Amino acid sequence: MKEYLAIIAMDMKLALRLRAVIFFNYLFPLIFFFTFAAFMGRNSEQIAYVVRMSVTLGVLGSGFFGAGIRAIQDRELNILRRYKVTPITPAPILVGSMVTGWLIFLPYIVLLLFLAHVFYHMPLPEHMLGLLVFISLALIAFRALGLVIASVANNMQEGQILVQLFYFPLLLLGGATIPADNFRGVMRTIHNFVPSTYLVDGMLNMMNKGQGLFVNWKHVLVLIATTFIGGFISMKLFRWEKEEKISGSAKWWVVLALLPFIVMGVWQSLR
Amino acid sequence: MSTAPVIQVRSLEKRYDKVEAVKGIDFQVDAGEVFGLLGPNGAGKTSTIEILEGLRPRTGGEATVLGFDPHRQTQQLKDRIGVCLQATNLPAKMRVQEALELFGSFYTRSISSEQLLNRLQLWEKRAAYYETLSGGQKQRLALALALVNDPQLLFLDEPTTGLDPQIRLEIHKLIEELKSEKRTVVLTTHYIEEAERLCDRVAIIDEGKIVAMGTPRELQQKSRMQSRIDIVTAQPLNGNALPHWPEALETSLADDSRSLTVYSSRPARTLFEIMKWLDQQGLHLEDVHLKRPTLEDVFVELTGKKLRD
Repeated sequence: MKEYLAIIAMDMKLALRLRAVIFFNYLFPLIFFFTFAAFMGRNSEQIAYVVRMSVTLGVLGSGFFGAGIRAIQDRELNILRRYKVTPITPAPILVGSMVTGWLIFLPYIVLLLFLAHVFYHMPLPEHMLGLLVFISLALIAFRALGLVIASVANNMQEGQILVQLFYFPLLLLGGATIPADNFRGVMRTIHNFVPSTYLVDGMLNMMNKGQGLFVNWKHVLVLIATTFIGGFISMKLFRWEKEEKISGSAKWWVVLALLPFIVMGVWQSLR
Repeated sequence: MSTAPVIQVRSLEKRYDKVEAVKGIDFQVDAGEVFGLLGPNGAGKTSTIEILEGLRPRTGGEATVLGFDPHRQTQQLKDRIGVCLQATNLPAKMRVQEALELFGSFYTRSISSEQLLNRLQLWEKRAAYYETLSGGQKQRLALALALVNDPQLLFLDEPTTGLDPQIRLEIHKLIEELKSEKRTVVLTTHYIEEAERLCDRVAIIDEGKIVAMGTPRELQQKSRMQSRIDIVTAQPLNGNALPHWPEALETSLADDSRSLTVYSSRPARTLFEIMKWLDQQGLHLEDVHLKRPTLEDVFVELTGKKLRD
Protein backbone atom coordinates (compact mmCIF):
# COMPACT_ATOMS: atom_id res chain seq x y z
CA MET A 1 0.00 0.00 0.00
CA LYS A 2 2.86 2.39 0.80
CA GLU A 3 4.02 2.32 -2.83
CA TYR A 4 0.53 3.39 -4.00
CA LEU A 5 0.51 6.34 -1.60
CA ALA A 6 4.11 7.27 -2.46
CA ILE A 7 3.40 7.26 -6.21
CA ILE A 8 0.18 9.25 -5.84
CA ALA A 9 1.94 11.83 -3.62
CA MET A 10 4.85 12.07 -6.07
CA ASP A 11 2.58 12.31 -9.13
CA MET A 12 0.65 15.12 -7.46
CA LYS A 13 3.84 17.05 -6.70
CA LEU A 14 5.12 16.56 -10.25
CA ALA A 15 1.81 17.57 -11.78
CA LEU A 16 1.56 20.75 -9.77
CA ARG A 17 5.11 21.71 -10.74
CA LEU A 18 4.29 21.60 -14.43
CA ARG A 19 2.83 24.76 -15.90
CA ALA A 20 1.22 22.75 -18.69
CA VAL A 21 -0.81 20.75 -16.16
CA ILE A 22 -2.07 23.91 -14.48
CA PHE A 23 -2.85 25.48 -17.85
CA PHE A 24 -4.71 22.54 -19.36
CA ASN A 25 -6.55 21.54 -16.18
CA TYR A 26 -7.57 24.96 -14.89
CA LEU A 27 -6.79 27.96 -17.06
CA PHE A 28 -7.69 26.62 -20.49
CA PRO A 29 -11.10 25.17 -19.47
CA LEU A 30 -11.88 28.38 -17.56
CA ILE A 31 -11.00 30.55 -20.56
CA PHE A 32 -13.14 28.23 -22.65
CA PHE A 33 -16.00 28.47 -20.15
CA PHE A 34 -15.99 32.25 -19.86
CA THR A 35 -15.65 32.73 -23.62
CA PHE A 36 -18.61 30.49 -24.44
CA ALA A 37 -20.61 31.76 -21.51
CA ALA A 38 -20.15 35.30 -22.82
CA PHE A 39 -21.72 34.28 -26.16
CA MET A 40 -24.28 31.74 -25.04
CA GLY A 41 -24.97 32.37 -21.38
CA ARG A 42 -28.33 34.03 -21.76
CA ASN A 43 -30.15 31.64 -19.44
CA SER A 44 -29.28 29.00 -16.90
CA GLU A 45 -30.05 26.16 -19.31
CA GLN A 46 -27.50 27.46 -21.77
CA ILE A 47 -24.96 28.00 -19.00
CA ALA A 48 -25.50 24.38 -17.93
CA TYR A 49 -24.80 23.42 -21.54
CA VAL A 50 -21.52 25.39 -21.48
CA VAL A 51 -20.62 23.76 -18.15
CA ARG A 52 -21.21 20.29 -19.64
CA MET A 53 -19.11 21.21 -22.64
CA SER A 54 -16.30 22.48 -20.43
CA VAL A 55 -16.43 19.40 -18.17
CA THR A 56 -16.41 17.04 -21.17
CA LEU A 57 -13.46 18.89 -22.68
CA GLY A 58 -11.62 18.56 -19.37
CA VAL A 59 -12.48 14.88 -18.85
CA LEU A 60 -11.42 13.91 -22.37
CA GLY A 61 -8.27 16.02 -22.17
CA SER A 62 -7.34 14.53 -18.80
CA GLY A 63 -8.01 11.00 -20.04
CA PHE A 64 -6.36 11.01 -23.41
CA PHE A 65 -3.62 13.60 -23.00
CA GLY A 66 -3.10 13.68 -19.22
CA ALA A 67 -3.07 9.90 -18.74
CA GLY A 68 -2.47 8.45 -22.22
CA ILE A 69 0.16 10.71 -23.74
CA ARG A 70 1.92 11.18 -20.39
CA ALA A 71 2.25 7.38 -19.97
CA ILE A 72 3.76 7.05 -23.46
CA GLN A 73 6.12 9.93 -22.70
CA ASP A 74 7.32 8.26 -19.47
CA ARG A 75 8.03 5.08 -21.40
CA GLU A 76 9.76 6.89 -24.28
CA LEU A 77 11.98 8.85 -21.87
CA ASN A 78 13.12 5.62 -20.14
CA ILE A 79 11.49 6.73 -16.89
CA LEU A 80 9.40 3.57 -16.54
CA ARG A 81 12.56 1.52 -17.11
CA ARG A 82 13.89 2.74 -13.75
CA TYR A 83 10.68 1.53 -12.06
CA LYS A 84 11.02 -1.82 -13.80
CA VAL A 85 14.07 -2.81 -11.76
CA THR A 86 12.17 -2.34 -8.48
CA PRO A 87 9.76 -4.90 -6.99
CA ILE A 88 6.60 -2.96 -7.89
CA THR A 89 4.01 -4.10 -10.43
CA PRO A 90 2.33 -1.77 -12.98
CA ALA A 91 -0.74 -1.50 -10.68
CA PRO A 92 0.51 1.37 -8.45
CA ILE A 93 1.61 3.34 -11.52
CA LEU A 94 -1.77 2.94 -13.25
CA VAL A 95 -3.81 3.56 -10.11
CA GLY A 96 -1.56 6.53 -9.32
CA SER A 97 -2.29 8.02 -12.73
CA MET A 98 -6.06 7.64 -12.31
CA VAL A 99 -6.15 8.99 -8.75
CA THR A 100 -3.83 11.91 -9.48
CA GLY A 101 -5.91 12.96 -12.47
CA TRP A 102 -9.01 12.88 -10.30
CA LEU A 103 -7.42 14.85 -7.43
CA ILE A 104 -6.27 17.53 -9.87
CA PHE A 105 -9.53 17.76 -11.79
CA LEU A 106 -12.11 17.65 -8.99
CA PRO A 107 -11.34 21.15 -7.62
CA TYR A 108 -11.88 22.49 -11.13
CA ILE A 109 -15.36 20.98 -11.28
CA VAL A 110 -16.30 22.51 -7.93
CA LEU A 111 -14.88 25.86 -9.05
CA LEU A 112 -16.70 25.69 -12.38
CA LEU A 113 -20.10 24.98 -10.79
CA PHE A 114 -19.47 27.76 -8.26
CA LEU A 115 -18.52 30.29 -10.98
CA ALA A 116 -21.50 29.32 -13.14
CA HIS A 117 -23.75 29.83 -10.13
CA VAL A 118 -22.25 33.13 -8.97
CA PHE A 119 -21.68 34.84 -12.34
CA TYR A 120 -24.45 33.35 -14.46
CA HIS A 121 -27.04 32.35 -11.85
CA MET A 122 -27.04 28.70 -12.84
CA PRO A 123 -28.90 26.81 -10.09
CA LEU A 124 -26.69 24.40 -8.22
CA PRO A 125 -27.59 20.77 -8.98
CA GLU A 126 -30.08 19.22 -6.61
CA HIS A 127 -27.78 16.24 -6.13
CA MET A 128 -24.43 18.01 -6.01
CA LEU A 129 -22.57 15.13 -4.40
CA GLY A 130 -24.07 12.68 -6.88
CA LEU A 131 -22.95 14.87 -9.79
CA LEU A 132 -19.41 15.12 -8.41
CA VAL A 133 -19.26 11.34 -7.96
CA PHE A 134 -20.58 10.85 -11.49
CA ILE A 135 -18.01 13.20 -13.06
CA SER A 136 -15.29 11.55 -10.96
CA LEU A 137 -16.30 8.11 -12.26
CA ALA A 138 -16.24 9.47 -15.81
CA LEU A 139 -12.84 11.02 -15.33
CA ILE A 140 -11.38 7.77 -14.00
CA ALA A 141 -13.02 5.75 -16.80
CA PHE A 142 -11.61 8.02 -19.51
CA ARG A 143 -8.18 7.98 -17.88
CA ALA A 144 -8.39 4.18 -18.01
CA LEU A 145 -9.16 4.46 -21.75
CA GLY A 146 -6.19 6.81 -22.15
CA LEU A 147 -3.97 4.25 -20.43
CA VAL A 148 -5.21 1.51 -22.79
CA ILE A 149 -4.20 3.71 -25.73
CA ALA A 150 -0.78 4.20 -24.10
CA SER A 151 -0.47 0.43 -23.74
CA VAL A 152 -1.15 -0.31 -27.40
CA ALA A 153 0.79 2.59 -28.92
CA ASN A 154 4.37 1.67 -29.78
CA ASN A 155 5.64 5.23 -29.81
CA MET A 156 4.58 8.82 -29.39
CA GLN A 157 3.58 9.19 -33.04
CA GLU A 158 1.21 6.22 -32.86
CA GLY A 159 -0.08 7.48 -29.53
CA GLN A 160 -0.87 10.92 -30.95
CA ILE A 161 -2.74 9.40 -33.88
CA LEU A 162 -4.80 7.09 -31.67
CA VAL A 163 -5.58 9.88 -29.21
CA GLN A 164 -6.73 12.23 -31.98
CA LEU A 165 -8.85 9.44 -33.48
CA PHE A 166 -10.72 9.27 -30.17
CA TYR A 167 -10.57 12.81 -28.87
CA PHE A 168 -12.29 14.74 -31.65
CA PRO A 169 -15.10 12.27 -32.43
CA LEU A 170 -15.85 11.99 -28.72
CA LEU A 171 -15.84 15.75 -28.35
CA LEU A 172 -18.02 16.37 -31.38
CA LEU A 173 -20.39 13.39 -31.37
CA GLY A 174 -21.07 12.90 -27.68
CA GLY A 175 -23.48 15.82 -27.43
CA ALA A 176 -21.14 18.09 -25.53
CA THR A 177 -20.34 20.52 -28.33
CA ILE A 178 -23.11 19.78 -30.86
CA PRO A 179 -26.34 19.20 -28.91
CA ALA A 180 -27.58 15.61 -29.24
CA ASP A 181 -30.99 16.77 -30.50
CA ASN A 182 -29.30 17.75 -33.76
CA PHE A 183 -28.28 14.18 -34.53
CA ARG A 184 -30.63 12.32 -36.87
CA GLY A 185 -30.58 8.90 -38.55
CA VAL A 186 -27.13 7.36 -38.80
CA MET A 187 -25.62 10.17 -36.77
CA ARG A 188 -28.02 9.39 -33.97
CA THR A 189 -26.96 5.73 -34.06
CA ILE A 190 -23.30 6.71 -34.03
CA HIS A 191 -24.01 9.08 -31.13
CA ASN A 192 -25.38 6.13 -29.15
CA PHE A 193 -22.06 4.31 -29.47
CA VAL A 194 -19.83 7.25 -28.54
CA PRO A 195 -18.46 6.89 -24.98
CA SER A 196 -18.72 10.59 -24.13
CA THR A 197 -22.49 10.41 -24.81
CA TYR A 198 -22.96 8.71 -21.45
CA LEU A 199 -20.97 11.37 -19.63
CA VAL A 200 -22.93 14.21 -21.27
CA ASP A 201 -26.29 12.45 -20.87
CA GLY A 202 -25.66 11.70 -17.22
CA MET A 203 -24.66 15.29 -16.51
CA LEU A 204 -27.72 16.56 -18.41
CA ASN A 205 -29.99 14.35 -16.33
CA MET A 206 -28.42 15.45 -13.08
CA MET A 207 -28.03 19.15 -13.85
CA ASN A 208 -31.19 19.91 -15.81
CA LYS A 209 -33.65 17.26 -14.68
CA GLY A 210 -32.69 17.12 -11.00
CA GLN A 211 -31.98 13.40 -11.14
CA GLY A 212 -29.72 11.65 -8.68
CA LEU A 213 -26.87 9.23 -9.18
CA PHE A 214 -28.90 6.06 -8.73
CA VAL A 215 -31.50 6.98 -11.33
CA ASN A 216 -28.61 7.08 -13.80
CA TRP A 217 -27.38 3.65 -12.79
CA LYS A 218 -26.88 2.53 -16.40
CA HIS A 219 -24.53 5.43 -17.06
CA VAL A 220 -22.73 4.76 -13.79
CA LEU A 221 -22.44 1.08 -14.57
CA VAL A 222 -20.97 1.68 -18.00
CA LEU A 223 -18.34 4.03 -16.56
CA ILE A 224 -17.40 1.60 -13.77
CA ALA A 225 -17.21 -1.27 -16.26
CA THR A 226 -14.97 0.83 -18.52
CA THR A 227 -12.68 1.61 -15.58
CA PHE A 228 -12.29 -2.05 -14.71
CA ILE A 229 -11.93 -3.33 -18.26
CA GLY A 230 -9.58 -0.46 -19.18
CA GLY A 231 -7.57 -0.97 -15.99
CA PHE A 232 -7.31 -4.70 -16.64
CA ILE A 233 -6.20 -4.26 -20.27
CA SER A 234 -3.67 -1.56 -19.50
CA MET A 235 -2.27 -3.73 -16.70
CA LYS A 236 -2.08 -6.74 -19.02
CA LEU A 237 -0.45 -4.84 -21.88
CA PHE A 238 1.71 -2.57 -19.72
CA ARG A 239 5.20 -2.04 -21.12
CA TRP A 240 8.07 -0.55 -19.14
CA GLU A 241 10.43 0.02 -22.06
CA LYS A 242 10.14 1.62 -25.48
CA GLU A 243 12.04 -1.32 -26.97
CA GLU A 244 9.23 -3.71 -26.02
CA LYS A 245 6.93 -3.44 -29.04
CA ILE A 246 3.39 -4.64 -29.29
CA SER A 247 1.89 -6.29 -32.36
CA GLY A 248 -0.48 -4.37 -34.61
CA SER A 249 -3.31 -6.75 -33.81
CA ALA A 250 -3.01 -5.90 -30.10
CA LYS A 251 -4.55 -2.53 -30.92
CA TRP A 252 -7.89 -4.32 -31.04
CA TRP A 253 -7.74 -4.44 -27.24
CA VAL A 254 -8.96 -0.84 -27.41
CA VAL A 255 -12.22 -2.18 -28.84
CA LEU A 256 -12.55 -4.47 -25.83
CA ALA A 257 -12.07 -1.49 -23.53
CA LEU A 258 -14.97 0.18 -25.36
CA LEU A 259 -17.20 -2.88 -24.91
CA PRO A 260 -19.46 -1.29 -22.25
CA PHE A 261 -20.17 1.61 -24.60
CA ILE A 262 -20.80 -0.75 -27.51
CA VAL A 263 -23.30 -2.72 -25.42
CA MET A 264 -25.01 0.51 -24.37
CA GLY A 265 -25.02 1.73 -27.99
CA VAL A 266 -26.71 -1.44 -29.20
CA TRP A 267 -29.22 -1.27 -26.40
CA GLN A 268 -30.04 2.41 -27.03
CA SER A 269 -30.31 1.86 -30.79
CA LEU A 270 -32.66 -1.08 -30.44
CA ARG A 271 -34.82 0.68 -27.88
CA MET B 1 29.19 -16.13 5.50
CA SER B 2 27.59 -18.70 3.20
CA THR B 3 29.91 -20.29 0.67
CA ALA B 4 27.11 -20.92 -1.86
CA PRO B 5 27.57 -18.88 -5.01
CA VAL B 6 25.46 -15.72 -5.15
CA ILE B 7 24.94 -16.21 -8.88
CA GLN B 8 25.00 -19.50 -10.72
CA VAL B 9 24.58 -19.56 -14.51
CA ARG B 10 24.53 -22.71 -16.65
CA SER B 11 24.18 -22.87 -20.44
CA LEU B 12 22.37 -19.52 -20.45
CA GLU B 13 20.84 -18.56 -23.79
CA LYS B 14 18.96 -15.53 -25.05
CA ARG B 15 17.47 -15.20 -28.51
CA TYR B 16 15.67 -12.19 -29.98
CA ASP B 17 13.79 -13.48 -33.03
CA LYS B 18 16.62 -14.77 -35.19
CA VAL B 19 19.44 -13.07 -33.29
CA GLU B 20 21.27 -15.18 -30.70
CA ALA B 21 22.49 -12.63 -28.17
CA VAL B 22 23.71 -15.12 -25.55
CA LYS B 23 24.90 -18.55 -26.69
CA GLY B 24 25.06 -20.92 -23.74
CA ILE B 25 27.32 -19.30 -21.18
CA ASP B 26 28.36 -20.66 -17.77
CA PHE B 27 29.76 -18.82 -14.78
CA GLN B 28 29.28 -18.28 -11.09
CA VAL B 29 29.82 -15.34 -8.81
CA ASP B 30 30.77 -15.80 -5.17
CA ALA B 31 29.72 -13.64 -2.23
CA GLY B 32 31.76 -10.45 -1.83
CA GLU B 33 33.24 -10.72 -5.29
CA VAL B 34 33.37 -7.98 -7.93
CA PHE B 35 32.74 -9.81 -11.16
CA GLY B 36 33.20 -8.06 -14.47
CA LEU B 37 31.60 -8.80 -17.80
CA LEU B 38 33.89 -7.29 -20.36
CA GLY B 39 33.10 -6.99 -24.03
CA PRO B 40 32.33 -4.68 -26.92
CA ASN B 41 28.89 -3.27 -27.65
CA GLY B 42 26.48 -6.00 -28.71
CA ALA B 43 28.57 -8.78 -27.14
CA GLY B 44 25.69 -9.97 -24.95
CA LYS B 45 26.71 -8.33 -21.65
CA THR B 46 23.53 -6.35 -21.12
CA SER B 47 21.30 -9.26 -22.18
CA THR B 48 23.07 -11.50 -19.65
CA ILE B 49 22.84 -8.99 -16.83
CA GLU B 50 19.19 -8.17 -17.58
CA ILE B 51 18.26 -11.85 -17.44
CA LEU B 52 19.93 -12.07 -14.03
CA GLU B 53 18.11 -8.94 -12.84
CA GLY B 54 14.78 -10.50 -13.77
CA LEU B 55 14.12 -7.93 -16.50
CA ARG B 56 14.10 -10.36 -19.43
CA PRO B 57 13.19 -14.04 -19.71
CA ARG B 58 15.95 -16.39 -20.79
CA THR B 59 15.49 -18.56 -23.86
CA GLY B 60 17.43 -21.51 -22.45
CA GLY B 61 19.69 -22.70 -19.67
CA GLU B 62 19.53 -22.14 -15.94
CA ALA B 63 20.18 -19.18 -13.68
CA THR B 64 19.85 -18.63 -9.94
CA VAL B 65 20.50 -15.34 -8.22
CA LEU B 66 20.54 -15.23 -4.41
CA GLY B 67 18.77 -18.57 -4.57
CA PHE B 68 15.92 -17.19 -6.72
CA ASP B 69 15.05 -18.04 -10.29
CA PRO B 70 15.12 -14.57 -11.92
CA HIS B 71 12.27 -15.44 -14.30
CA ARG B 72 9.92 -17.13 -11.84
CA GLN B 73 10.67 -15.30 -8.58
CA THR B 74 11.14 -11.87 -10.09
CA GLN B 75 9.53 -9.72 -7.39
CA GLN B 76 11.37 -11.44 -4.50
CA LEU B 77 14.63 -11.09 -6.38
CA LYS B 78 14.10 -7.43 -7.27
CA ASP B 79 13.42 -6.70 -3.61
CA ARG B 80 16.89 -7.96 -2.69
CA ILE B 81 19.13 -6.59 -5.44
CA GLY B 82 20.32 -3.15 -6.46
CA VAL B 83 20.45 -2.20 -10.12
CA CYS B 84 22.13 0.68 -11.90
CA LEU B 85 20.90 0.66 -15.49
CA GLN B 86 22.81 1.76 -18.54
CA ALA B 87 20.14 4.13 -19.84
CA THR B 88 17.52 5.46 -17.50
CA ASN B 89 15.83 8.68 -16.56
CA LEU B 90 13.67 10.30 -13.91
CA PRO B 91 10.96 12.93 -14.29
CA ALA B 92 12.49 16.36 -14.90
CA LYS B 93 10.79 17.99 -11.92
CA MET B 94 11.55 15.27 -9.39
CA ARG B 95 13.88 16.39 -6.61
CA VAL B 96 16.88 14.26 -5.65
CA GLN B 97 15.71 13.43 -2.12
CA GLU B 98 12.16 12.80 -3.32
CA ALA B 99 13.47 10.24 -5.81
CA LEU B 100 15.30 8.35 -3.06
CA GLU B 101 12.25 8.40 -0.79
CA LEU B 102 9.90 7.32 -3.59
CA PHE B 103 12.05 4.41 -4.70
CA GLY B 104 12.76 3.46 -1.08
CA SER B 105 9.01 3.00 -0.57
CA PHE B 106 8.97 0.18 -3.16
CA TYR B 107 11.13 -2.16 -1.06
CA THR B 108 10.44 -4.14 2.08
CA ARG B 109 13.57 -2.58 3.58
CA SER B 110 15.26 0.69 2.78
CA ILE B 111 17.92 2.96 4.19
CA SER B 112 17.41 6.63 4.96
CA SER B 113 17.67 9.10 2.14
CA GLU B 114 19.90 11.35 4.29
CA GLN B 115 22.44 8.56 4.67
CA LEU B 116 22.51 7.94 0.91
CA LEU B 117 22.71 11.63 0.05
CA ASN B 118 25.74 12.02 2.29
CA ARG B 119 27.39 8.89 1.03
CA LEU B 120 26.96 9.77 -2.64
CA GLN B 121 27.91 13.43 -2.04
CA LEU B 122 24.48 14.61 -3.10
CA TRP B 123 23.46 16.34 0.13
CA GLU B 124 23.93 19.81 -1.37
CA LYS B 125 21.77 18.77 -4.31
CA ARG B 126 18.99 17.12 -2.30
CA ALA B 127 16.41 19.76 -3.26
CA ALA B 128 17.56 20.09 -6.88
CA TYR B 129 15.33 19.00 -9.73
CA TYR B 130 16.60 16.03 -11.73
CA GLU B 131 16.72 18.16 -14.89
CA THR B 132 19.28 20.50 -13.31
CA LEU B 133 21.81 17.77 -12.38
CA SER B 134 25.04 17.23 -14.30
CA GLY B 135 25.82 13.86 -15.92
CA GLY B 136 28.00 12.84 -12.97
CA GLN B 137 25.38 13.85 -10.42
CA LYS B 138 22.71 11.91 -12.33
CA GLN B 139 24.94 8.85 -12.28
CA ARG B 140 25.60 9.26 -8.56
CA LEU B 141 21.85 9.45 -8.03
CA ALA B 142 21.42 6.30 -10.14
CA LEU B 143 23.91 4.56 -7.85
CA ALA B 144 22.14 5.92 -4.76
CA LEU B 145 18.88 4.47 -6.12
CA ALA B 146 20.64 1.13 -6.60
CA LEU B 147 21.63 1.22 -2.92
CA VAL B 148 18.29 2.39 -1.56
CA ASN B 149 17.30 -1.11 -0.35
CA ASP B 150 20.76 -1.80 1.11
CA PRO B 151 21.34 -4.73 -1.27
CA GLN B 152 24.04 -7.34 -0.83
CA LEU B 153 24.15 -7.86 -4.60
CA LEU B 154 24.46 -5.01 -7.09
CA PHE B 155 24.32 -5.02 -10.86
CA LEU B 156 26.07 -2.05 -12.42
CA ASP B 157 25.59 -1.89 -16.16
CA GLU B 158 28.31 0.32 -17.65
CA PRO B 159 28.13 2.74 -14.72
CA THR B 160 30.79 5.13 -16.05
CA THR B 161 30.05 5.17 -19.77
CA GLY B 162 30.03 8.69 -21.12
CA LEU B 163 31.32 10.28 -17.92
CA ASP B 164 34.42 12.43 -17.74
CA PRO B 165 37.57 10.89 -16.16
CA GLN B 166 37.20 12.67 -12.82
CA ILE B 167 33.62 11.49 -12.30
CA ARG B 168 34.68 8.04 -13.44
CA LEU B 169 37.30 7.96 -10.70
CA GLU B 170 34.69 8.98 -8.13
CA ILE B 171 32.45 6.12 -9.24
CA HIS B 172 35.44 3.74 -9.07
CA LYS B 173 36.05 4.81 -5.46
CA LEU B 174 32.44 4.12 -4.62
CA ILE B 175 32.61 0.65 -6.16
CA GLU B 176 35.77 -0.01 -4.16
CA GLU B 177 33.88 1.00 -1.02
CA LEU B 178 31.10 -1.42 -1.91
CA LYS B 179 33.75 -4.09 -2.36
CA SER B 180 35.27 -3.35 1.04
CA GLU B 181 31.79 -3.73 2.56
CA LYS B 182 31.79 -7.30 1.14
CA ARG B 183 28.90 -6.61 -1.22
CA THR B 184 28.79 -8.66 -4.37
CA VAL B 185 28.97 -6.57 -7.52
CA VAL B 186 28.40 -7.61 -11.13
CA LEU B 187 29.81 -4.95 -13.40
CA THR B 188 29.62 -4.66 -17.16
CA THR B 189 32.06 -2.36 -18.82
CA HIS B 190 34.03 -1.78 -21.95
CA TYR B 191 36.69 0.19 -20.10
CA ILE B 192 39.72 -2.05 -19.58
CA GLU B 193 41.20 0.01 -16.77
CA GLU B 194 37.88 -0.22 -14.93
CA ALA B 195 37.90 -4.01 -15.07
CA GLU B 196 41.59 -4.21 -14.13
CA ARG B 197 41.18 -1.86 -11.21
CA LEU B 198 37.88 -3.03 -9.77
CA CYS B 199 37.21 -6.64 -10.65
CA ASP B 200 38.28 -9.71 -8.72
CA ARG B 201 37.38 -11.82 -11.73
CA VAL B 202 36.50 -10.99 -15.30
CA ALA B 203 34.64 -12.86 -18.01
CA ILE B 204 35.49 -11.71 -21.51
CA ILE B 205 32.36 -12.01 -23.60
CA ASP B 206 32.19 -11.80 -27.36
CA GLU B 207 29.34 -12.61 -29.74
CA GLY B 208 27.33 -14.14 -26.91
CA LYS B 209 30.06 -16.47 -25.66
CA ILE B 210 32.54 -16.28 -22.80
CA VAL B 211 35.93 -16.51 -24.47
CA ALA B 212 38.01 -16.32 -21.27
CA MET B 213 37.42 -16.02 -17.55
CA GLY B 214 39.65 -15.53 -14.51
CA THR B 215 41.32 -12.85 -12.42
CA PRO B 216 42.76 -10.00 -14.49
CA ARG B 217 46.25 -11.33 -13.61
CA GLU B 218 45.37 -14.89 -14.68
CA LEU B 219 44.02 -13.63 -17.98
CA GLN B 220 47.13 -11.58 -18.58
CA GLN B 221 49.32 -14.60 -17.81
CA LYS B 222 47.33 -16.77 -20.19
CA SER B 223 48.22 -14.42 -22.97
CA ARG B 224 50.74 -15.64 -25.50
CA MET B 225 51.99 -12.09 -25.71
CA GLN B 226 55.32 -11.34 -24.05
CA SER B 227 56.12 -8.82 -21.37
CA ARG B 228 58.35 -5.94 -22.32
CA ILE B 229 61.26 -4.71 -20.17
CA ASP B 230 62.57 -1.21 -20.84
CA ILE B 231 65.89 -0.24 -19.28
CA VAL B 232 67.85 3.01 -19.44
CA THR B 233 71.47 2.99 -18.29
CA ALA B 234 73.70 5.88 -17.30
CA GLN B 235 76.53 4.71 -19.59
CA PRO B 236 76.27 3.56 -23.23
CA LEU B 237 76.09 -0.18 -23.87
CA ASN B 238 77.98 -2.12 -26.49
CA GLY B 239 75.34 -3.68 -28.73
CA ASN B 240 77.65 -6.46 -29.83
CA ALA B 241 78.52 -7.50 -26.28
CA LEU B 242 75.01 -8.03 -24.97
CA PRO B 243 74.49 -11.56 -23.62
CA HIS B 244 71.46 -13.77 -24.21
CA TRP B 245 69.51 -13.48 -20.96
CA PRO B 246 67.39 -16.46 -19.86
CA GLU B 247 63.80 -16.46 -21.22
CA ALA B 248 64.56 -13.36 -23.30
CA LEU B 249 62.96 -13.69 -26.74
CA GLU B 250 64.11 -10.51 -28.38
CA THR B 251 66.56 -7.78 -27.44
CA SER B 252 67.11 -4.39 -29.06
CA LEU B 253 69.25 -1.36 -28.28
CA ALA B 254 68.16 2.13 -29.28
CA ASP B 255 70.37 4.53 -31.24
CA ASP B 256 71.39 6.35 -28.06
CA SER B 257 73.00 3.02 -26.92
CA ARG B 258 71.50 3.53 -23.46
CA SER B 259 67.88 2.43 -23.98
CA LEU B 260 67.55 -1.33 -23.98
CA THR B 261 64.32 -3.21 -24.74
CA VAL B 262 63.97 -6.90 -23.95
CA TYR B 263 60.87 -9.07 -24.62
CA SER B 264 60.49 -12.05 -22.31
CA SER B 265 58.05 -14.87 -21.57
CA ARG B 266 59.15 -14.86 -17.89
CA PRO B 267 59.90 -11.21 -17.21
CA ALA B 268 60.77 -11.51 -13.50
CA ARG B 269 63.54 -14.04 -14.21
CA THR B 270 64.88 -12.10 -17.19
CA LEU B 271 64.86 -8.82 -15.27
CA PHE B 272 66.75 -10.40 -12.39
CA GLU B 273 69.44 -11.65 -14.78
CA ILE B 274 69.73 -8.26 -16.50
CA MET B 275 70.17 -6.53 -13.15
CA LYS B 276 72.85 -9.03 -12.17
CA TRP B 277 74.67 -8.50 -15.50
CA LEU B 278 74.53 -4.70 -15.19
CA ASP B 279 75.97 -4.94 -11.70
CA GLN B 280 78.78 -7.21 -12.88
CA GLN B 281 79.58 -4.76 -15.70
CA GLY B 282 79.65 -1.86 -13.25
CA LEU B 283 76.87 -0.10 -15.17
CA HIS B 284 74.42 2.21 -13.41
CA LEU B 285 70.71 1.92 -13.95
CA GLU B 286 68.74 5.12 -14.60
CA ASP B 287 65.26 3.78 -15.30
CA VAL B 288 63.44 0.49 -15.61
CA HIS B 289 59.87 -0.39 -16.77
CA LEU B 290 58.12 -3.72 -16.95
CA LYS B 291 54.98 -3.80 -19.09
CA ARG B 292 52.85 -6.91 -18.88
CA PRO B 293 50.12 -7.60 -21.47
CA THR B 294 46.97 -5.68 -20.50
CA LEU B 295 43.45 -7.04 -20.54
CA GLU B 296 43.03 -5.05 -23.72
CA ASP B 297 45.92 -7.03 -25.28
CA VAL B 298 44.32 -10.27 -24.07
CA PHE B 299 40.98 -9.20 -25.44
CA VAL B 300 42.41 -8.34 -28.85
CA GLU B 301 44.31 -11.63 -28.88
CA LEU B 302 41.21 -13.67 -28.05
CA THR B 303 38.64 -11.92 -30.17
CA GLY B 304 40.58 -10.11 -32.84
CA LYS B 305 38.59 -6.99 -31.98
CA LYS B 306 39.10 -3.82 -30.02
CA LEU B 307 36.85 -3.40 -27.00
CA ARG B 308 35.13 -0.34 -28.39
CA ASP B 309 34.43 -1.88 -31.79
